[in-house]
Parts: sequence; C-alpha cells; structure tokens
Amino acid sequence: MKLFGRLAWAVVAILAAFCLGGIALRRGEPINSIWLVVAAACTYAIGFRFYAKFIAARVMALNDKRATPAERLRDGLDFEPTNKWIVFGHHFAAIAGPGPLVGPVLAAQFGYLPGTLWIIIGAVLGGAVQDFVILFASVRRDGKSLGQMAREEIGKIGGFIALLTVLLIMIILLAVVALVVVNALKGSPWGTFTIAATMPIALFMGIYLRYWRPGRVLECSTIGFALVIASIFGGRSVAASATWGPVFSLGALGLAIAVVVYGFAASVLPVWLFLAPRDYLSTFVKLGVVVALAVGILFVRPELQLPAFTRFVDGTGPIFAGKVFPFCFITIACGAVSGFHALISSGTTPKMIAKESHIFPVGYGSMLMESFVAIMAMIAACVLQPGVYFAVNSPAGVVGATPAAAVATISGWGFPVSVSDMSHLASSVGEQTLFYRTGGAPSLALGMAAIFARGGGGEAVLGFWYHFAIMFEALFILTIIAAGTRVGRFMLHDLVAQASTRARKPAGMTGVVVATIVIVAAWGYFLIQGVRDPLGGINSLWPLFGISNQLLASVALCVATTILLKMHGPKYLWITCVPLAWLVTVTFTASWQKIFSSDPYLGFLAQADKLAAGPQNATTAALIFNAQLDAVVCGVLALLVAIILLDSLRIWYGLLRGTRDARVTESPFVVSQLQAEEI
Amino acid sequence: MRRFGKLLTALLRELADENAYQRHLARHGRKHSAAEWRHFCEHRLRAKYAQAKCC
Repeated sequence: MKLFGRLAWAVVAILAAFCLGGIALRRGEPINSIWLVVAAACTYAIGFRFYAKFIAARVMALNDKRATPAERLRDGLDFEPTNKWIVFGHHFAAIAGPGPLVGPVLAAQFGYLPGTLWIIIGAVLGGAVQDFVILFASVRRDGKSLGQMAREEIGKIGGFIALLTVLLIMIILLAVVALVVVNALKGSPWGTFTIAATMPIALFMGIYLRYWRPGRVLECSTIGFALVIASIFGGRSVAASATWGPVFSLGALGLAIAVVVYGFAASVLPVWLFLAPRDYLSTFVKLGVVVALAVGILFVRPELQLPAFTRFVDGTGPIFAGKVFPFCFITIACGAVSGFHALISSGTTPKMIAKESHIFPVGYGSMLMESFVAIMAMIAACVLQPGVYFAVNSPAGVVGATPAAAVATISGWGFPVSVSDMSHLASSVGEQTLFYRTGGAPSLALGMAAIFARGGGGEAVLGFWYHFAIMFEALFILTIIAAGTRVGRFMLHDLVAQASTRARKPAGMTGVVVATIVIVAAWGYFLIQGVRDPLGGINSLWPLFGISNQLLASVALCVATTILLKMHGPKYLWITCVPLAWLVTVTFTASWQKIFSSDPYLGFLAQADKLAAGPQNATTAALIFNAQLDAVVCGVLALLVAIILLDSLRIWYGLLRGTRDARVTESPFVVSQLQAEEI
Repeated sequence: MRRFGKLLTALLRELADENAYQRHLARHGRKHSAAEWRHFCEHRLRAKYAQAKCC
C-alpha cells in the first residue's frame, strides 16, 4: 500500500475511533445522528478493507481462475454469471427484511448506545463474516444449501436439525411479524384501508402482467406504486368518512384473523396472480425507502433525543423484559448477526456469482449495508422524544390501561410526556391514538415521518409520511407472510415425505390446502397468543424470534468452523469461533432466563405460575398454556442447537487429533472460461 | 453517472426477472409472446417461491 493510501486509511481509522468514542462517552446532551453515521461508515470501511480482505486472501484464497457454479452449471435461470453489483443489490434486497428495522427500534429501550455498538461490531466481526464464509462455502460446493452443507460437513443429525430449526424459526418469524402489522394497524382506518387497497392492486398487477402486458414487470410495478400512493391519499378521506371509517377501524383480534385469512389465501392462490406482483412491488418500495431514509438522515442530520443508556438496562424495560445482556443482542439479530442470511447466502446468490472475487463484496459488503439500515432504524427511533417513544411502544399491561395512567407511569420514569402531546401527535399523523402501539413499526414510522417531514413540508405532510412508512413496512411484511407460509408448506411436505412413500408424490390440491392450514394454524396460534397477551405479545414473541434466529446463526457458524478447520487446521479457527462462542453464550443465557427466570415478567414458567396462583377466569387457562408452550419452544430450540454444537465439537476434536478425514468436499477445480464482457 | 444509471436499470430489471426472461428467450432461441412469458413464469416463480424470504 502506498504512503498516501496508508495515510488515508489511518485517517478513516482515527475518524471511526473518534466517532465511536464520541457516541460512547458523551452524556447529558443530545447527540447528532451524524456521529452514528460516520462511526458506522468508517468502521465498516476498515472492516471491509482489512478484515474481510484478509479473510478473502489468506483464508479463502479466492481464485478468479476457478469457474464458479454460475459458469459451470449455467442454465440461464438459476445459474447465471451476473455482474457483481447486480448480485450485490439482489442479495441485499433478499436479506433486508423487517428484522433490521424493528429490532433496533425495540432495543432502543436500553438507550441508543448498546444497540448501536452491537449493530456495528456484531456486523463487522460476526454477521458479515457468517454471510461471507457461508456464501464462499456454497459457491465452492455447487451452490448447495445450508442444510445440505450441514449434512455433508457435520453429519445427518446436523442436516436434520438445520431443517427443523428453519421450520420452527419460520413459524415464530411469521407470527411475530404478523403481530407487528396487527399492532401498527389496530384502530387505524387510514392504515388499514391503505394496506387493504394493496390486495386488489396486486391482483390487478397480476392480471396486467399475465394477459395485458406480459413481461413488463417494471412498467407494471410503476403503475402499482402510483396506485399505492393514491391509496395513501385516499386513506385520509376513508378515515374521515362516517360510513367507511368504522368499516376499516378494526381491533387487534379482528386484524389478526384478517391476517391469518390473508396468509392462507395468498399462499394458495396462483403465484403469478398475487404473490409475485406484490413481491416485485414491495422489493422496489423497500429499496427506494432505504435509499430515501439514508438521504433524509444525511440531509436533515437530526439529533437523538433518547439518552445513551436508559434505566432499563437493569432488565425492567416496558417493551420487553430482560437486562441489556443478553437481551440487547438477541433483540437486534438481523442488523448485526442473522442466521436467516445463511439461507440466502446458500440459496439464490451463490448461483449468480460470476467470479470468486465477487464473493467478497457481495457476502461481506451486503451485510454491512444491512447493518447500516439497522443504524438508520436506530436513529429513526431515537429522534423521538423518549416519553413519546415509550408511550407508543409500551403495552397497557405495563404502563396502565388509560392514557392518563400511561403518561403518569412514563413521566415517573423520568421521560416526561403528556396526554395532550400524544393527542396532538396522533392528530398530526391522522390517527386516533398512538398509545400502546407495540411492535416497533409505528414508532419507526413516526421517526421516519419526522425525518422526511423535516426534509420538506413540515407538519402538513407528517400524516402522509407516517402512513407511507406504515404502508412500506406492512407491504413487505405481508409479502413475507405469504411467501413464508408457502415455503413452510413445502418444508412440511418434505418432512412428511421422509416418513411416508405415499407423500413423495407432488402434493395435490387437497395436500396443498391441508399443509397450508397446518402452517397457518401454527403461526396463527402464536399470533393470536400475542394479541391476547396482556403484556402486548412482543415481550414474549420477539425474544423467541431473536433466540431462534441467533441459534440458526450458531448452526451456520458451526458449519463454517468445520469447513475452515478442514481447510487450514486450527490456524484460522478464531474467525468463526469468536462470533460462535459469543452467540452461544448470548442465546443460551437468554433461553435459560426466558424459561427459568423467577421474574414472571421475564420467565415463561414463572409467568405461568403467577397466573395459576392468581384469580382464574375464562382466559387464564389459555394464558398459562401459552406461557408453558413458549417455554417448551424455547427449550426445544436450545436443545436442537446444543445437539448440533456437541456433534460439531465431536467432529472438530476428531479433525484436530487427526482421527477424522479432513478432506474438503469442494467441487473439482475447473478453469474459468468466462470473458470479462460476459459479466 | 450514465454508467451508474445503466447499472441501476440492470439491477431493477434483474429484480423484476426481466433479465432472466431475456436470457430464457436467448437460450431457447424463442421470441417474446404472452404464452412464452407465462411458460417462463411458471418455472421461474415456482423456484423463486420455494425458498424462504429473509427476516
């Protein structure tokens, strides 16, 4: 590296250290969001330039002369050598879901500092490394999936557990994201109308693409986007209408049932008619909003109103129970380390990689981009006044069932807020109330709306931007629900097929309907449980989701560690072992506390005991059963990962002692014939 | 700037499966038609929605 280059990187490193120090050490005064942006961007740059490059060169020895599966198995559909920046965008669009947006908003209850540091450091040393190594491993193995690699590298137990863990995660994921949508839309005719309008718009797009203008996806999506924007404007009039307002003003239970019915219908309808056009639309809107939010934050540079730490680091937080360790690190999964990414890194992406050197920016770089989305979500949450943030995100069961009681409780915590402040804010965004809107989506929408409105238009456009943000979140969450239910159906069919030769035939319509009902019933049960939970549902479901996602990351890192061990012996073991050790510590501690803590607000079993000891009514038995079920699910997830971890340790021990075959199972080396102009 | 615009358009077309459709036509030596698009969609979408979407 030349002297100028060294000096430039030294400046970046000093800037990263200065900004990280600044956000960590400043107390008692609001901090500008630009500190977070610069700290994150500079740390990512250092991680990308030095750590990822070291892994690419020394550990993986990426070799552009080696033909990738995209070239060797080219079929023009799945396997296709693609420009690296297009693969980058494609991979980022695939990994960026609601997780990096909602997780940081919820974790902001500890203050901005713990979550921000975890997002930055976790991504650079853990999440991006996991995505990078799994993508590399999959590319070297003909684009095999995580489950297939687990079976080959660790054994049959590993493969089976990976499949089962994914199915369990899927069910928890669908329930929790559905709950986020329900909590965002309850009692909101404007929001409900806008989201309801996206259904006929998607059907229209499906028919347009199939019969009127086949193949014109971008054109059709532009029309769909214009119609969605029109529905946001129309939503205001609907909400104000004495006739239509009440029709679209649904309670939490009514919305939950509507989402369950939607999930069933959307996953059994022909894909071209509903799911695909909706997915195209939501992908474009998602990417557009992420870019717009980044521009908005850089342009407005808002100050963070939440402190670096709140009193709730002690585990008494109203949004979810548990101390900053371990719960901050499981609440923010997707923005720092997400096991789900390993499924994408071993899914579509490895089949598009044209040259091995592209694995580096795609695998590592996309995760850094996702981490930056999480930083933006953290900023959007923290620009709210703390009192408003807690009034929106706290359930009635914690802060009190009336607005007066809620503001008294929250103000008593040292975060002043009044009923009139909340009423004014609700009326500014066209809502009847913003109290008890748990789940993170409404507070994120408020923060985003505040940033966009400050960019131009002021309070007059706050309502539009709030509902635009709600539409954006609900649109892609509902797409995930439809697609996830469909995938869950396939997984269920695969599991049944392993047990019965009859089921190996393609599922007929009856099989499709039955499997869909099973999957919808599974996540729908947890959704209804969340809606009925007096503590708001997020308190129990989001940690369960975080634990399951991080446990899947542990599975992925076990596979990655085995591969590195076979490639180099113990030399580079620390690269995946350090994040693995951290995740295992965090998730097992969190699982233990969620099951066995004596605090009924935190521990599932203690919560069941408390309910059993109290007055009994019609719903008590169901609540007790739900708490016990959550404990069992949490225990099963931890047990599954303990098994795969022990199995991996057994294999690592054999590899280190030389008693086990250390041959890597990579595809044979074939010289690449791909010309630069082809990509 | 023009290069960035071309790259952005290519990314959007890739996300929209329009590039994959063009590759499909080129590979099989066929011309665009409503029936061909529907044929392509059946294969493309079946594979696409058999995989989990990320959280």
